[in-house]
Amino acid sequence: MRRPLHTLASLAITAAVALFSLLLLYWVLVTSLKRPGTEFRLPLRVWPAEISWESYQTVLGPGFEVQNAIRNSLLVSSAVTVGALFLAALAAYAIARLRFRYKVQSLALIQMAGMAPAIVVIAPTFVLIRSLGLLSSLPGLILPNIAYSIPLSTWLLAAYFANLPFELEDAAKMDGWPPFQVFWRVMLPLAAPGLFSAGVLVFLGSWGEFMLALTISLGLPEAQTAPVAILGFSQAFQLQWAWVSAGIMLSLVPVILLVLLFQRAVIQGLTAGSVRY
Amino acid sequence: MRQRESTIALLFLAPAFLALAVFLFYPIVQTAIYSLFDLEYSTRWREAPFVGLANYRAVLASREFWGSMRFTVLFAVAAVTLEFVLGLSMALASFWVIRPLRGILRTIIVLPWAIPAIIQASIWRWLFNTDVGLIGALAVGLGLAEKPPLFLADPTLAVFSVIIAYVWKGAAITAIFLMGGLAMVPQHLHDAAKMDGARAWMRLRRITLPLILPTILVVLLFRTLDALRVFDIVYGLTGGGPGATTDTLSSFAYKFYFTFVQFGRGSAYAIITFLLVMALSLLYIRRITPHLRFR
Repeated sequence: MRRPLHTLASLAITAAVALFSLLLLYWVLVTSLKRPGTEFRLPLRVWPAEISWESYQTVLGPGFEVQNAIRNSLLVSSAVTVGALFLAALAAYAIARLRFRYKVQSLALIQMAGMAPAIVVIAPTFVLIRSLGLLSSLPGLILPNIAYSIPLSTWLLAAYFANLPFELEDAAKMDGWPPFQVFWRVMLPLAAPGLFSAGVLVFLGSWGEFMLALTISLGLPEAQTAPVAILGFSQAFQLQWAWVSAGIMLSLVPVILLVLLFQRAVIQGLTAGSVRY
Repeated sequence: MRQRESTIALLFLAPAFLALAVFLFYPIVQTAIYSLFDLEYSTRWREAPFVGLANYRAVLASREFWGSMRFTVLFAVAAVTLEFVLGLSMALASFWVIRPLRGILRTIIVLPWAIPAIIQASIWRWLFNTDVGLIGALAVGLGLAEKPPLFLADPTLAVFSVIIAYVWKGAAITAIFLMGGLAMVPQHLHDAAKMDGARAWMRLRRITLPLILPTILVVLLFRTLDALRVFDIVYGLTGGGPGATTDTLSSFAYKFYFTFVQFGRGSAYAIITFLLVMALSLLYIRRITPHLRFR
């Protein structure tokens, strides 16, 4: 009896949240499709009079080459995801499944490390990366970001490992499998869904990392990630927002795709921590 | 046997702890060491004069420090409050709407969280631009202002602008965490209360909120920690300006490092920020670890 009203109110609420959440992105999209030079013309149009791809051609062309920054980001985030998941899975397996003293303390210490503000590590990290000769290089970004991603992924994976059944693991141990084999061939495959959602979160996290990327890149294009490059564009071309918008849209493609395709994994990953409190 | 298992555990933990040691524990200790030396234009602390706590005294005596401290705390309180109200509303809505809309609504809620903060800062900076920004144009169009306000140049408006930009992303993550808590509220409690004729507002106050209180506390702590560390949004949106009115502890410390090139003073600043955040994160850790159940 209250059905139609409920449906209507639901639609209205969804529309209101969409307006709040998507307006920014929508405005960037519209601007990126306007002919450069007309983006500020009044009255403001909610959809361009004619769609122009000129800005996309510009930001992909010489002088901009936003694709380089996006490629850098893809390389960094992929490498960080693989590296951090591997290290975190090892640690999480020990914490969740092996018997030793101080396990809660170990996990607490790892979590505390994850709370440290970036500003308190940035200067020595810069000096360290410089002495390794890795300034303005992708490895210089990948290595610290792996460490930064360990706390969150260890937390999520420990929660996941803790909920897995013990039978297979015990059987493999009875058969005399060495510990690493038990971890690698029995536990990791079982934890695949947990690894996946932790992986998506690590990828998104390192994609958006800024302070280290800004400091290590030294402003040179070789190691600029997408966020650093976009900030540079937006400061250099304050009145060419059609170009900047096109750059932003392109750099957000991987992020938006990940969220749209794996919305479930993202939300499950994020709530996995809080559900266990 | 037990001895052997703890050795194995140590081996499994070692790689992660090595990575944390090199890129988190060591830099924190090194920053603490920097903070005790008079370091300018260089980080070679072994050759620099040792000054004890002089850097801390200088920082604590400076007006800029207390200005950025005041702004950071004000920012954290305002942002976390707003985030919580918006986040809770969105989380509740995502359970209330008709089933077919739930997945869509959740995707829409998550999206702002996934967009890098610095890119959001760039977008907001443009939207708040006085000459070409959408928000100023809307304010004029709706008759709220005669000409576009100076969002980022006016000290009061700049504070609001930074908070709005930060909350836009923060409300999303707050909502997601709260959804996790809401998912655990048993449906039968709701149904029973409904049968007893309890109104929606009563059910929210007497059943839902008390049951998700632990989640709420953790979310508030977690978000406060994040707000106290804020850097990206400020750096990209106002750069701390006008003057230093929107400088947070982190953004001001970054200026000390890479604009003024005063590593000793900057490190003292960073360590103070660190201690403040750590005090809260101890509370946070204490809150979340007792509930852990491992073998």
